[in-house]
Amino acid sequence: MNAPGRFTVQAHPPGAEPLNAPLFASLIERLQAAEERCIVLDLGPARTETLALFGQLRARLDIVDLAESLDQFDDVDEPDVLRERAERLLPPRHGDGAHVVLCWDLLNYLKRPALSAFMTAVAERTRRGAFAHALIAYSSARMSVKPGIFVPVDGQRLVNVSPPQAERDSPRYSPEDLANCMHGYTVERARLLRNGMQEFLFRL
Amino acid sequence: MFDIGKKSADKGQQDTGAQAKAPQPSAAADPAARRSPATPREAAVIGPSIHIDGDLRGEEDLIIEGEVNGTVQLRNNTLTIGAQGKVSADVFAHSVYVDGYMEGDLFGSERVCIRKSAQVKGNITSPRISLEDGARFKGTIEMDPQAVEAALGRRRGAAPAAPAPQEQKAAQPSQGNGKPDAASGIKR
Repeated sequence: MNAPGRFTVQAHPPGAEPLNAPLFASLIERLQAAEERCIVLDLGPARTETLALFGQLRARLDIVDLAESLDQFDDVDEPDVLRERAERLLPPRHGDGAHVVLCWDLLNYLKRPALSAFMTAVAERTRRGAFAHALIAYSSARMSVKPGIFVPVDGQRLVNVSPPQAERDSPRYSPEDLANCMHGYTVERARLLRNGMQEFLFRL
Repeated sequence: MFDIGKKSADKGQQDTGAQAKAPQPSAAADPAARRSPATPREAAVIGPSIHIDGDLRGEEDLIIEGEVNGTVQLRNNTLTIGAQGKVSADVFAHSVYVDGYMEGDLFGSERVCIRKSAQVKGNITSPRISLEDGARFKGTIEMDPQAVEAALGRRRGAAPAAPAPQEQKAAQPSQGNGKPDAASGIKR
């Protein structure tokens, strides 16, 4: 098997600055070392680069593309309604739950009740000991109107390939906020990246 | 008006861009082509005005620009869902190219290619899967070679009569609420 840094995906678009993501690299290392089939629940859109990376492992990718459906959670606070909408967006529960959840630049786009309902539904689709890898805008008080599209450059770096967008206020969820909203998720490690995003590796 | 069985070469200027992009494997290079009795490699076309409900089977390449609901089986041939095509079906083919709308499970024994104009909702099982940026996809992409082989092997080993797509679904693990007890296999 290749070392994580030797996973090749494809060249990133001009102008997009790849970001070292050490927790992502450690996750890929673990998957590589496991040498077992892994199930990845990707909350982002289907992307060639993600397919290319996990295609080098024995993987099944479950693609949710949450960004396309974020508006379904706007202006709703009732837990039952939020839960029902989350269930509709997510793949059916299988006996073989996901080993890994990818959640890149999405959590800040859900209000607290929606975050809680959605991530609870996600947790129910994972197996014990699963990991959730998240990127969350944290340093800046502003964030883009729509979530960025992050893709792997290789087994160690991620890059945002979305075009420049207008901005809006960011809720800047802290680790405490996330702990309060995301029951069952334990922060295993967290890192502040040089673009101001916080990288989280959660354990379920 | 009814385009099934018509060769695309006969359609001349009516051919779509999707059709122009459809692969034209040479019979010499492609074992599937050798197996197929349809030696000319032009594909049959289901035109935009055609709507089919039911099982669709064949031994030649096919381009769907119309609407198909049910199942599509082209075990040794290529299926292209053109930009105008709308398919709600479980699809079994040697190769599958999607430019249009597809809802259902896709089994490609050789490859599945989701092009940038495609909208796909369903599950893909194939040893080679490509997805162009811009394509809209929701569902599962099975890339584990062993799982792919197992799924396709089960398909190949099925009775010669029309396979029941629901068998595959029934064979999948039940949708329990509890988490599996087995360890994830990932080192902690």
